[in-house]
Amino acid sequence: MRKILITYFFVIVTLLCACNNDGSKESGLALVKTTNPAPLSLEKSTKKELDLIGAIEQDVESFKELYDVSVLKGKEDILVAYKVRHMQRFHMKKIEKKIKKLLEDKYSQENFIVSSDYKIFLEAVKLEEKLKDPTYSTEKAEKRLQEIIKLKKELT
Amino acid sequence: MGGKTKEQKQYQSLEQKHEVKRPVLKNCIKAFFVGGLFCIVGQAITYFYIYFFNFTEQTAGNPTVATMVFISMLLTGFGVYDHIGQFAGAGSAVPVTGFGNAVISAAIEHRTEGFVLGVGGNMFKLAGSVILFGVFSAFVVALIKVLLIKWGVI
Amino acid sequence: MRKGKQSWIFPNKPVIVSTGVSVGPFEANGKLVADFDIIHDDLWMGEDSYEKAQRVLMEEAAKTAIQKGNKTKDDIQFFIAGDLINQITPSSMAARTIQLPYIGIFGACSTSMEGLALASFFLNYNGADYVVTGASSHNAATEKQFRYPTEYGGQKPPTAQWTVTGAGAALLKKNENEKGLPVTTSATIGKVIDLGMTDPYNMGGAMAPAAADTITAHFNDLSLDPSYYDLILTGDLAKIGREVTFELLQKNGLNIEWEKFQDCGLMIYKDDQPVQAGASGAGCSAAVLYGHILNEMQKGTYKRVLVVATGALLSPLTYQQNESIPCIAHAVSIEMNE
Repeated sequence: MRKILITYFFVIVTLLCACNNDGSKESGLALVKTTNPAPLSLEKSTKKELDLIGAIEQDVESFKELYDVSVLKGKEDILVAYKVRHMQRFHMKKIEKKIKKLLEDKYSQENFIVSSDYKIFLEAVKLEEKLKDPTYSTEKAEKRLQEIIKLKKELT
Repeated sequence: MGGKTKEQKQYQSLEQKHEVKRPVLKNCIKAFFVGGLFCIVGQAITYFYIYFFNFTEQTAGNPTVATMVFISMLLTGFGVYDHIGQFAGAGSAVPVTGFGNAVISAAIEHRTEGFVLGVGGNMFKLAGSVILFGVFSAFVVALIKVLLIKWGVI
Repeated sequence: MRKGKQSWIFPNKPVIVSTGVSVGPFEANGKLVADFDIIHDDLWMGEDSYEKAQRVLMEEAAKTAIQKGNKTKDDIQFFIAGDLINQITPSSMAARTIQLPYIGIFGACSTSMEGLALASFFLNYNGADYVVTGASSHNAATEKQFRYPTEYGGQKPPTAQWTVTGAGAALLKKNENEKGLPVTTSATIGKVIDLGMTDPYNMGGAMAPAAADTITAHFNDLSLDPSYYDLILTGDLAKIGREVTFELLQKNGLNIEWEKFQDCGLMIYKDDQPVQAGASGAGCSAAVLYGHILNEMQKGTYKRVLVVATGALLSPLTYQQNESIPCIAHAVSIEMNE
């Protein structure tokens, strides 16, 4: 009986793990390993814009509690997604508040969406990948960004 | 029966000598690992939902719980879960799968008394008190939190 | 004839003509499978509820006993049976099928010896020519009533016992100067003993004092020495209960050899079967005695055996109301008639 039971578990575990191994794209592994995506702007990539998001990324990365920061700038909103270090995950809410306050104080004219959720990070990385494709239109990207923001605001 | 008589006390101490004790430490270790294994499965399912569906870490909890209960339902029906339970103790009773097992096992057990009075009436025989006291204690905790916020303590 | 305080002796020595034992799949994997008459490989016995399955076990055991004794039901006067389920319905419904005048008895797991003692008493005093007596239990039906659902994954402590799925019945008759048959020679009716044990997962520990009390009373009443018997067999005390009873008996000044003091609950299953402390249930002592022990007696392994079936007279209601567990034990002595 015990043998059956053990095999049962392994079957379930392997089945579920197998599902996660999907393709070799960067985003496929974004949940598991550090990807360090470059900050991106959905629209024109002027020097000023790039400097701004670069500075934001630097500011956020200066927090010791987190790693892997993704910054995406849309028309009006800037999405900042990051992963919190495992031992700090109990303070996730506090960290989020802290980052939001810092960013809003420093760049008061921008609108920030800050999230430590894996899903948001994953979607941000996916979107960045799509942006590498020159045929992917800015409108589509903006629409997708808004969808991610909506997802972030959903609670249950 | 009030206090124990001298005879009863005497016998009980004699009986204690022979009684095999629960191996508490061993049980704890087993419970830790099996319970941990359950949680790994749960985490894998959470990631599955995050990855393939539109769920965030915040929202993936509900479908994960439902899936875990579903799995424990299958294991109960195939007659595996009670063996896991005997081996793992609290490891399989404390996670939400234990709750699923309590509901399903009662439902299976009373299937022979019909659907309405048997399954319907007895399904929550074990889990009913979990629901009752769970909801009630959640209510009490929420009430305390609301009051504390109102008084400006937190 | 009463002897001493609470014992009967049967000078006419009623004969155990034949026996019938029917068991479930878990017992079929046990040690004594060769001694059972009917073995089911399905816990449901082809019925749609466990209670009905238990009724089938009882019916089969009784019918087999009658058949093996080459009798028909018209030869038999009384059917004495009992079990653990609410209002002993499996026994009563088996009696409905068998259509014999029926006496339903309840002594929890001591029912088997209660029935054997009563049957012997009837036969000894010309109350009947033939009597069938038996007891049954079904693991799933009993667990359902007394504990948790069978599939519930609660952890059972090492003191817990496994209820036997099985029934045993015996056909007894008046002795007409026959030799070489197992006969009942005396019986001791126990009194209810309660030493304040409350754990329903430790039946052996609760029942031990009752067993010790009845065994002591038996030897006092009959002025016998324990060495008179080749085997003293308790019903379902299991590991812990057997040790405790043994110590209590030593304290009472009875010098019993450990090897001659056995327990049905430790005989029926193999060591690797997951039954914690051992077996229990009304069917346990019935199946082991009417199956294994009587076979062994006929082979000559034992000449005189004292069977002490123990019962815990609790209900699910009383232990939830924090009542302690009252226990009882009845003893019947079985000897080969020479």
